[in-house]
Amino acid sequence: MPVTHSGLQKDVFALYRRALRMARTKPPQTQSKFRLFVRYNFKTQASAMSPRDVSAIEHLLRKGKRQVEMYEDPAVRDCWVSQAMQEWDANDRKSRRSLGVQS
Amino acid sequence: MQSLVTRSAASTWRSSSVRTFASSAARSQAVPTEKPVLQKEFKIYRWNPDEPAKKPTLQSYTIDLNQTGPMILDALIKIKNEIDPTLTFRRSCREGICGSCAMNINGQNTLACLCRIDRNPSKDTKIYPLPHMYIVKDLVPDLTNFYKQYKSIEPYLKNDNPPVGREFLQSQEDRKKLDGMYECILCACCSTSCPSYWWNQDEYLGPATLMAAYRWMADSRDSYTAQRKEKLQNEMSLYRCHTIFNCARTCPKGLNPAKAIAHIKMELAAD
Repeated sequence: MPVTHSGLQKDVFALYRRALRMARTKPPQTQSKFRLFVRYNFKTQASAMSPRDVSAIEHLLRKGKRQVEMYEDPAVRDCWVSQAMQEWDANDRKSRRSLGVQS
Repeated sequence: MQSLVTRSAASTWRSSSVRTFASSAARSQAVPTEKPVLQKEFKIYRWNPDEPAKKPTLQSYTIDLNQTGPMILDALIKIKNEIDPTLTFRRSCREGICGSCAMNINGQNTLACLCRIDRNPSKDTKIYPLPHMYIVKDLVPDLTNFYKQYKSIEPYLKNDNPPVGREFLQSQEDRKKLDGMYECILCACCSTSCPSYWWNQDEYLGPATLMAAYRWMADSRDSYTAQRKEKLQNEMSLYRCHTIFNCARTCPKGLNPAKAIAHIKMELAAD
């Protein structure tokens, strides 16, 4: 049976795709930074949020849309990756690798 | 006795050497009468985007009106300075010329800097952000869409053949047509008081933007009037106005956007 998503979930996916597409338009050297920035912001905020808290998710969607619109400007060519993001990335890779070994 | 007299003489001399506006020694020692304390409660809408899961609340602050300026904005600034520095609101000119401090005070959209505090201490004053707008924080609404709509009507002079090397003159009658429109400061009080705008923000332009549109249509120097009219010739942008007149009632600058919209409708109908 195909998985059905709510409208809100689709909106979130659409924003995530748009953000990742935005990362692909950036210069090759900085693309990984943009991708980490997008993934970090999505995953940390998604895990902090209850899936039933619709108004809060809608607020984050609006905020994200505004942010992506700003980053889509071709004048933006680099982005800042914080220490916290790098640590999160390292942890994420490790956990994914261990999952891969088990399965 | 002798010493007392000399001492008082000396003190009088000393006090007169200090320049004061008081006419006599006794006057300069008078203590100004303290104003009575007049406590008043303000209930202010609070919402913090850092905790988006929490619901918005009304927070209550009580301040002494005799230690505060006369306007709501003075009270807000006093609360922010002395009680709660996390209270967030926009403000700039404090004289009703910038339009930053537009908010909903006791159910009426107005500028906090032009709205007097009701000095009745038994009634509280409720302050909310502009209604039906997305909130950035506390009393700060998200006006992105409002500004986008304003941009969409191209609010600048468009003329392909401006006079070269001299001023672009206008007769006094033509200039008078712009009175009552050019004063708009885009505080968004009118648009956010309009029920039509509440339900159709994405398509209906709203009174502030429509008045700006008519300001450029009515300008004798602008040569793109036909194109400007053409743009409004659809169901939503203009004709969602149902002459509710909330805009004219609420405008803190005393303008009448409904009249400008009526003019546009008439000109479009006459086409």
